[in-house]
Amino acid sequence: MSDLVHGLSGDFLARFLGGMALNFEIAAIALLIGLALGFVLALGRLAGGVAGAASLSLVSLMRAAPTFVVMFFLLNALPRDATLFGRPFALSGVMTVALSLVPYSAAYVGDAALDALRHLRAGTTHGALLFLPNVTRAFFVLVMSSSAGAAIGVTEAITVILREAEHLPELGDRLVLFGLGIVLFGIPLQVAFALIGAIQRRVARVTAARAM
Amino acid sequence: MTRLLRLAAVILFAVLAGAPLRAETPDAALATLLAEARMKVPAECEQPSADRLVRILCVKRIRIGIRDYYPLFAERRDEQRFGYEVDVAEAIGRMLGVAVEFVRVNAATRVPLLAEDRVDLVIATMGHNTQRDRQVRFIRPHYYRSETTVVGPRELPVASILDLPGRTICVTVGNGSNAELVSQGARLMLFDEAGVLPDRLKDRTCALAAQDDSFFAKYFTEPDFRARYSQKFGFAQVPWGMAVARQGSSELARALDLVSQIFHRDGLFVDIGRLHSIGLGFLVEQQQVWRRPACNTAEGNRDPACVLPPLNAALQPTSFAPQVAAVEDWVEAKSGVDLQLPMLKTVPAWSLFQDGVAYTLVLIAGALAATLGFALLLGAAMGARTPLLRWPARLVTMTLQSSPIVLTLVIAAAIAHGLFVVTTPVLLGAAIAALGLTNGSNAGQAIGEAMWSLRAEGVSGAGLFGRAVGRASTQIVAFLVNAAKGTPIASFIGAPELLSTLTDITSFSSGRATTYTILLVFYTVVVMGVVWLCGRLQRWLERRTAAP
Repeated sequence: MSDLVHGLSGDFLARFLGGMALNFEIAAIALLIGLALGFVLALGRLAGGVAGAASLSLVSLMRAAPTFVVMFFLLNALPRDATLFGRPFALSGVMTVALSLVPYSAAYVGDAALDALRHLRAGTTHGALLFLPNVTRAFFVLVMSSSAGAAIGVTEAITVILREAEHLPELGDRLVLFGLGIVLFGIPLQVAFALIGAIQRRVARVTAARAM
Repeated sequence: MTRLLRLAAVILFAVLAGAPLRAETPDAALATLLAEARMKVPAECEQPSADRLVRILCVKRIRIGIRDYYPLFAERRDEQRFGYEVDVAEAIGRMLGVAVEFVRVNAATRVPLLAEDRVDLVIATMGHNTQRDRQVRFIRPHYYRSETTVVGPRELPVASILDLPGRTICVTVGNGSNAELVSQGARLMLFDEAGVLPDRLKDRTCALAAQDDSFFAKYFTEPDFRARYSQKFGFAQVPWGMAVARQGSSELARALDLVSQIFHRDGLFVDIGRLHSIGLGFLVEQQQVWRRPACNTAEGNRDPACVLPPLNAALQPTSFAPQVAAVEDWVEAKSGVDLQLPMLKTVPAWSLFQDGVAYTLVLIAGALAATLGFALLLGAAMGARTPLLRWPARLVTMTLQSSPIVLTLVIAAAIAHGLFVVTTPVLLGAAIAALGLTNGSNAGQAIGEAMWSLRAEGVSGAGLFGRAVGRASTQIVAFLVNAAKGTPIASFIGAPELLSTLTDITSFSSGRATTYTILLVFYTVVVMGVVWLCGRLQRWLERRTAAP
């Protein structure tokens, strides 16, 4: 272990935390776009008819699109000289990863928002409030999924770990480093899931008390 | 008198026939060729059929296509040009006795400009391969030779191409050596421009980068770069050739062949190369070749023992390549869409594509089976009454939930590398295990929770586990679908599924947009198929649970 500590770059922790900040940034971008798209899709499904069918089809497609493939599609299929509203539209690595997560986040938010809107219509405000912990869970799933950026050279936290591991010749040292990465990722994630669970239990208790 | 003359003739013939034949030197052949061409000036200057050599001598100027920015070889600052190729061009002008007019070319324009008669000669870092041989006439002997060099941090333990399996290498799209890297098991990260590679090495986006050694030559003149990085090894050597148009340039080509031969023999290429700090190995080697009496003749540049062959870069076409090309043309004519299907047009690409589809289906089936297996196993453990089973299962689940899938895959691959020789089945197995564990642990948690909730409702006995599986069916199905969706990520550890193989195909062919669109459609359709199958499984589980 002490060999591993000596083998790590002096700025490893700083770079790892910087990488993790990037994971959160990517997740935030994906979630914001997903919220906007997801709500539109939820309203479409709630409206029914042609809009409902179209929204449902779109959600089904987005659920089925693998994030990793979408990322490579965005990276390779968009022309380098593409323009949007007359301006050059070249995606950065961070935006490519964030946009590749949008199909998942929009489909997830669409489902959660539909539930919430149905609860609101039924007058069960507390049921609708479950939307918030559900979206928080989605955010942390997005944080984890943003590690796919390692495949296209985005310097997020897993990329930092993998680059550090390249310099460790021993498998044992590399496995310890990977374990360290899991711990550093796991702490905020498990804390967040514990908080979400606590909020959900509280909402359930309040809802049950109101019902009585 | 007549007898005397006859005798003299016989003696002369005998002397000439008996004397050793001395081959014409390249210098003499060049002098003769230029003298003959000059004799046609100005009579043939206006004739359209005149050879380019004559036309060059008529206007006393040669138009040479050259690059504007290729460090050490051809650079331009304002009106000032410098570099190895620039000096070679000037030396050719002096040899022919004409002025040099430089015309800017790049990789895309150097051949068309020759064909359109907008330049007489191109000296522009052009590798001589069999495909280009059909487009232009290359001057031989070659004036330089590059090779693909793999560059990385000095401390990185890579010494040969055998150390590449499983490693990611940054390359440029269309580089001829990409196919060889792929065949050695390397993973490629593609970039459009070589210029970004040194920066990507510096910001550690790339652990290794592969590109022409001539490209990296300039960077290795920088002390900081040289201190941090080294050339690990080189492969895929390509001779560089000056080139003229195939039509109407036979005399010019012949003259330049001789000039190039003389420059090698006399060490001019070596001197110019030394002046610009480029690698001299090839040039010194060639100087020795062209000093040999057998090569130092007017015909030496046609002797296979003296000149280098072009690189054979042609990929064998598939038997149905013409039909594929016809379909591409038809789609473009009807819709304007530039459809390109490189995976169907050459034998190596077609073979990679077929393997990719097969491995993808194996990977998906394996990931689904592993997810279900781990879900049942971990679910049973987490629902067990004994903490000896429950707590380890929870710890495993919590660990897997805290690890991003990319990291779990890398750990699985690292362990597999440690235990086995790296082969395709081992990589697929590692990917299946990682995907199965990640998704199976989550689904197993749902089964475990369902078991506890059923116990709380008073259910117990032999049917408890089956009912718990039924109750958790929504979660199980969700994670089965997730496992299928996650399979492309296996390409990250080098598993040769479709994403991986198509990336390899596009690295040495064109049609990236079409290729990745096909890939997206393929995976989306496959995942939708899995969703449909899982829906049926869910309904079966629910019916089974509801049954008395």
